[in-house]
Amino acid sequence: MKIGIPKALIYWKRPYFWESFFENLGFDVLLSPKTNKEIVEMGVKASDPETCFSVKVFFGHLLWLEGKCDFIFVPRLKTNKEKLEYCPKFFGLPDLAKIAVKTKILTETFDEIKENRLKALERLGKKLNKNKREIQRATEISEKREKEREEEINKNFFEKINSNKPKIVLISHPYNLQDEYVNLRLEEKLKELGAEAIFIDEVPISANRFTPLDKLSNGASQHKSAPSINFHWEFGKEIMEKIDSLFLTSGEKNFRLSGAIEISAFACGCDSVLKEFVEKKFKENKIPFLYLIIDEHTGEAGFQTRLEAFLDTLGS
Amino acid sequence: MEVKPIITFPRWGNYTIAFKTLFEKLGLEVIPPGEINSQTILEGAKLSPEMFCFPLKTTLGSYIPALKKGANTILMVENIGGSCRQRYYGTIQSKVLKEGGWEINVVNFRATPRGIYSDLKKISGASFLEIFRAGRFFYKKLRLIEKIEKQAQYLRPRELEKGATDKALDWALLEIERVNEEKNFSRSKKEISRKFSEIKIKNAKNLPKVGLIGEIYTVCDPVINFGLERKLGKEGIEIHRQMDITYHLKKSIFPWQERLLQRKISPYLKSTVGGHGRDAIYEMLNYVKQGFDGVIQILPAMCMPEVTIRPILEKIHQKSGIPFLSLSIDEQVAEAGIDTRIEAFVDVIKNHHKNI
Repeated sequence: MKIGIPKALIYWKRPYFWESFFENLGFDVLLSPKTNKEIVEMGVKASDPETCFSVKVFFGHLLWLEGKCDFIFVPRLKTNKEKLEYCPKFFGLPDLAKIAVKTKILTETFDEIKENRLKALERLGKKLNKNKREIQRATEISEKREKEREEEINKNFFEKINSNKPKIVLISHPYNLQDEYVNLRLEEKLKELGAEAIFIDEVPISANRFTPLDKLSNGASQHKSAPSINFHWEFGKEIMEKIDSLFLTSGEKNFRLSGAIEISAFACGCDSVLKEFVEKKFKENKIPFLYLIIDEHTGEAGFQTRLEAFLDTLGS
Repeated sequence: MEVKPIITFPRWGNYTIAFKTLFEKLGLEVIPPGEINSQTILEGAKLSPEMFCFPLKTTLGSYIPALKKGANTILMVENIGGSCRQRYYGTIQSKVLKEGGWEINVVNFRATPRGIYSDLKKISGASFLEIFRAGRFFYKKLRLIEKIEKQAQYLRPRELEKGATDKALDWALLEIERVNEEKNFSRSKKEISRKFSEIKIKNAKNLPKVGLIGEIYTVCDPVINFGLERKLGKEGIEIHRQMDITYHLKKSIFPWQERLLQRKISPYLKSTVGGHGRDAIYEMLNYVKQGFDGVIQILPAMCMPEVTIRPILEKIHQKSGIPFLSLSIDEQVAEAGIDTRIEAFVDVIKNHHKNI
């Protein structure tokens, strides 16, 4: 049996976990390819015109998989381990997917306010005729792989902050940052312009989560005065924490952050809230901030010009 | 020294009157919010984050006339319906107003009866009895407003003298605003119902019927949705709308209603999507069942819950053949454009009605 996984949106919330999970259960896994023009066009045609660009891309991947596998896996992500909510657009995805494609949709609800993640995974296993033992084993292996990847990313991060190039932090959701087509090869472009791109999701958070407050205020002097907002969205809280953590590391390791770029998919409702606070944080720390909105019409040339202009302002 | 709070609050259609009474009865000094018109919308949109949804901009704009008159505290309700952006209205509005140079204080209400009670107590310092009385008077006014709105929906397509219903409705709203003692209320109520019963109507049993669904703020505010109910009423179409404040409050008092609703819509959607997304599906299914001649969804442009469920509504529309129109509203939408779409849709409805 072949299970298709659209490589967009929710996939990037836990990349590599799902493919490893299903492979360890003995299924064939078909990942949709990297986003390309054709996929985006399909998605734009199939989805609601007012929905966000990220969802449109997701539908493109979904349609690419249609007919190529027995099931398409679209989990319903509601809350995460810290009992924080995902974007409300994720809640309805499996139902919308059922309308969009004829291939059967395999889904399971992950709501960790109500139950442990493992329970949901076991229920998913039941649908696939797998017993609890098999599920546990597959989960463990996949989580181990995830952890290895995380460590590698961490190592990567410390290498990056030790480089001599101007360092620019990219802030966005993983599905915008990890997808080269969606962010118009931003990382590559920055590299060509001689800058080092740090992804916000690479910033380690665990090390200083328990740092006492007085130490925090030494590290990044002003950020205490920033307006406090308590996000009920997991990405909101995570991004804000990671920005704090980044300021802190920049104090400890003595490296200078040259600039910050936030990318939003057009019509992303969550980002309209998030941007206000992210921008404020960087402004208070006197770090130049660029806000870019991407959608299916974004031209690469215009993007390039804005990036070049931004990097020029950093130099002076 | 602490500044005495002078209250203002977001304008919300005809319900504004009831809210004004509530806060006044609690002994607070109230300056009601300004009218929503192109000027206030423009001012609100200028202050707000560009990508934010429309109600944030209009409510923000409606504070400004009141702030100019000296209001310093804004009461904003938080979290109507759940997971969507509405939760951050208070925070964002407070932030942008402060950045715009206003010295204000924004109080966030939770939209449940208990949350409203405890927050009211904190801000006004009123006793339980005072809050109870103010709440009772508020609810009476609110119910009456909702009732006459519903009556008007029924009367408009049937009235013999064009515009008689709206005249009575406008008069009634002024009357409700004028009454400031609870003991005089029942007299006004009688007067209003007399006024409505005086409207001469034709005997029309079989009129085309249209259901209004969508986001609670845009559906309920006749200024925001360009007087959609009036326009359709004039065309001889009977309007039904389930969404109002009482509906919302009832849902938060009786949690099992959510479960019943979920069971009804399960074939289409198996989860909440924030806001009143599920309710829209539920209402549309009901209208289909009752043999309505059309459904209109009204939403602020890019509203997350409503946009998420729109493909599902379209699916229902395809399956049942009920005419369906979705109107997204934001500061760039012109009334003329909406009018054209409504006119075309009215023809569709009338055709559909004839063919059944």
